[in-house]
Amino acid sequence: MRFPLALLQQPRLYSCRSERGTPLTGSIDLPQGTLDLILLRTLLPGPQHGWAISERVQQVSSEVLSIQQGSLYPALHRLERRGWIKAKWGTSDNNRRAKYYELTRVGRQQLDRETEAWRKLAIAVEQVLEGA
Amino acid sequence: MLNDFRYRMRALLKHKRVEDELDEELRFHFDQQVAKYMRSGMKEEEAKRTARIAFGGHEQVKEDCREARGTSFIELTLDDAKYALRQIWANPTFSLVLIATLALSIGANSAIFSVIDGVLLKRLPYAQPERLVRIFLHNSAYPKFPLNPWDFLDFRARNRSFESMAAFTRNDMQLSNEGEPVRLNGFRVTSGYFRVLGLHPQMGREFDFQAELPGNGQEVVISDRLWRTRFGGDRNIVGRKVTLNMQPFTIVGVMPPGTEHPGNDYHALAYGEDVDVWRPFTFQGNSNQRGSHFIEGIARLKPGVSIEQARGDMNAMMRQIAKQYSNDGEGWSVLVVPLSSEVVGSTRPMLLVLFGAVGIVLLIACANAANLLLARASARQREIAVRLAMGAPRLRVLRQLLTESLVISIVGGALGLALAYGGVRALVMLLPADFPRAHDIHVSGPVLAFTLVVSLLTGIVFGLAPALQASRTDPKQGLQQGSRGATASRRQNRLRSALVVAEVSLACVLLIGAGLMLRTFLNLLHLDPGFREDHVLTATLSLPLARYQSGAQTVQFYKRLTADLEQLPGVQSAGAGSDLPWTGYDENLGGFTIEGKKPAPGAEFHARYHRATPGFFDAMGIPLLEGRSFTEGDKYGAPSVLIINHAMAARYWPGEDVIGKRISFDDNPKKDEDWTTVIGVVGDVKDQPESVSAAPAFWWSEYQVSNTDMSIAIRTKSDPRQAADALRSTVHQIDPELAVADVKLMDQVAGASLSTPRFTFVLVGLFAALAVLLAGIGAYGVIAYTVTQRTSEFGLRVALGAQRRDLLRMVLVQAARLVIPGTLLGLVLALSLGRVVQTLIYGVGAADPLVFASVVLLVPAVALLAAWIPARRAARSDPMEALRNE
Repeated sequence: MRFPLALLQQPRLYSCRSERGTPLTGSIDLPQGTLDLILLRTLLPGPQHGWAISERVQQVSSEVLSIQQGSLYPALHRLERRGWIKAKWGTSDNNRRAKYYELTRVGRQQLDRETEAWRKLAIAVEQVLEGA
Repeated sequence: MLNDFRYRMRALLKHKRVEDELDEELRFHFDQQVAKYMRSGMKEEEAKRTARIAFGGHEQVKEDCREARGTSFIELTLDDAKYALRQIWANPTFSLVLIATLALSIGANSAIFSVIDGVLLKRLPYAQPERLVRIFLHNSAYPKFPLNPWDFLDFRARNRSFESMAAFTRNDMQLSNEGEPVRLNGFRVTSGYFRVLGLHPQMGREFDFQAELPGNGQEVVISDRLWRTRFGGDRNIVGRKVTLNMQPFTIVGVMPPGTEHPGNDYHALAYGEDVDVWRPFTFQGNSNQRGSHFIEGIARLKPGVSIEQARGDMNAMMRQIAKQYSNDGEGWSVLVVPLSSEVVGSTRPMLLVLFGAVGIVLLIACANAANLLLARASARQREIAVRLAMGAPRLRVLRQLLTESLVISIVGGALGLALAYGGVRALVMLLPADFPRAHDIHVSGPVLAFTLVVSLLTGIVFGLAPALQASRTDPKQGLQQGSRGATASRRQNRLRSALVVAEVSLACVLLIGAGLMLRTFLNLLHLDPGFREDHVLTATLSLPLARYQSGAQTVQFYKRLTADLEQLPGVQSAGAGSDLPWTGYDENLGGFTIEGKKPAPGAEFHARYHRATPGFFDAMGIPLLEGRSFTEGDKYGAPSVLIINHAMAARYWPGEDVIGKRISFDDNPKKDEDWTTVIGVVGDVKDQPESVSAAPAFWWSEYQVSNTDMSIAIRTKSDPRQAADALRSTVHQIDPELAVADVKLMDQVAGASLSTPRFTFVLVGLFAALAVLLAGIGAYGVIAYTVTQRTSEFGLRVALGAQRRDLLRMVLVQAARLVIPGTLLGLVLALSLGRVVQTLIYGVGAADPLVFASVVLLVPAVALLAAWIPARRAARSDPMEALRNE
């Protein structure tokens, strides 16, 4: 089963008015911070371009998480603005120009921080689900 | 943080590049996705379609990326601004009219506000100027009378309200031996004068108490300007010796630039930074002689002491003094007024009226702006409806409309500010010659802020309402054919009509004001001044006492001078008088006795006094009504003679033959020599052009009762300007070290006294013209719009047989329905505001029928003219055109 990660906008093919935030059925809404965490972690091994990042996330999460372009790129640009990743243009495997993102030192620190926080959260929620 | 900033800056500045990169990035992703689908077996077409569906709206992704960049607010605003500019360009007439309207009214407002700020609002350039007061004597006949020096000393010693007190009196001095002799504006001041004002010399020191003692005081403090221009900024100026009034003086101090004179009431007025030299005031003579009053008082209140307390204190002292010296103390009190109201007082009503006038213009302009914006909003309803239907968020549309009106009003405001700069310069040039603090006037911070606020407010307020309304339209309605939003438009029409009625009434008010000012000015212009100001050259001379110690020397000088001047080619007559008409006067209070008459109990005989040489009356064109003028025979030793004016003859010898009557200036005249005989009567000359009547005045013969300071008057046959050089050389032939000052044409001098009413009239007239123009534009706009709305109706009427005449009439009637109530309302408003302009008008009532009648005729005529163009267009309606537009 594939659960598209729909964080923001839906494609506007099906309504005349602009309405935001209505997810397609079957999708999980993840908070922004979690998406950031995933992206930062994916970049830990080394620089990748946007397409590769989304493929990798899909693979590693056993196809559970699939990031849509509408969420991916705004998130990447936001991370770039915060200084946690930096971008550089390079050549892809098939000789096309592509924009590669790379973790910065500050980004690495942020990744550690957020991982720590996520782990704590997960344990706590788990405890509540078990015990309460 | 820095990274964030850098990122955003890059996004803003390299906008295109960033957008292209984004495009490329997304395209790359898309292509990779397509490739992936193709690898899993899809055909290219299908792969592309699937990818496109999965991708979602390309534009939307971009939009989200833009938002993530954090620059969307600015980018959107820039977009809106660009769109706004395109719209403005697309509708040049509309935009131009709106911008011009705003610019003109904001410019005018800012200019007048600058004047008001510089004159009324700005602090005087002294330390804590609100604690400075001026001190006068006051009684029912003389509201502001100068002080006696010995009284002043007592005040200074005994008062409890003032931290410090000083007195000053005008004393111009002649500088020689430093190039061309020149007359300097100067004052005698008591010690501590500068300290009272809170000023300190930039070099040297000011006078101390020692300088006030008789025999001392041969020192001066000079102005910065004099130091730079006459002494070349000499660093060793302190201690330098100079020759003033033919006597040696030592310069002990130099005042800094920006030292302003606080104004004086007695003698010729000096302004601002015109004063060049100060010398100490020495207290001489008998301290029991409290008769002559000629010094002016200024003081600084102690902290915590109010003006009323000070006044009470001073009056108590006054009573003490009166008791001690038991003379003239009757009926006199002390007047203590704040310096600020002294300096600007008389101009306040005029400035406030001007401010009201320009405020009215601004109101009219804003009403016009509102009208225009409303009209445009309703004209664009269709466009807005389409955009809403296409999915634009309402907020975005609103934002765009608002940005448009903001751009227009900011452009209008900026232009207005430029106009203001120019306007202020022009105003300052137009200002009456002796307008207080004229050099303090320039466009300043508060004015800029005021302009900005007004233009922004106009844009927001008058753009918001129609924008809100337009954006609230149901797109369905707007898109319907032939609909111009009937209901909304009707309400709007009423609002717009009301605005035009208001505009017309305000314009009427201004026009009436202008009419009154015009009549005032004309009245003043045509007043018989009592003298002839054409072809007269004037100058002032001040003979230094050191050289002209005896009266005989003075007489000798003026006799020779007038004789020489009359010999000059082209000179008809020449004379010297103690003052020129309309430039100030002296008083003689109760000093004389009239033979055979007693003054009323408690009152005294008083009159102005002057001196003149024989040729003076002729030179000034003052007619001799009875008797004879002075001759050279009226000199020292000969019987004392006097020439009086008509007012004095009528006052003291009503109905009698005045020639030969006698007056005495002695307290107890016994012998014939104690009496002075009236030998002639001359025509009246009023103090000021607008004075109600002339005051009684008399002239001594300069050859009998001489004075060293005189004004020269030369009547020439042709251009008097050419006599100026001749005058100077004639004077210098007799005394090469004498300075010839204030060389002016008499009509300049006379014209200067008319400058305030002229100034007021020109300005109010300008504003009235502007108001009428704007109201006309407003009326035109509304009528034109309604005509456009009714095009189909007109077409139908023509098709049904209506004549052009009828259509014309219909439109004009509609216009009349706006203009007539407006005019009536304006008349009513003007009547109620009549009291406000009372002080500014002369010779005409505030409800003058002539002015009112002309306005009643003029305003509707202008408005109907404005309605003519659309009326003609309506009359030419072609039924086919009209119906086709449906």
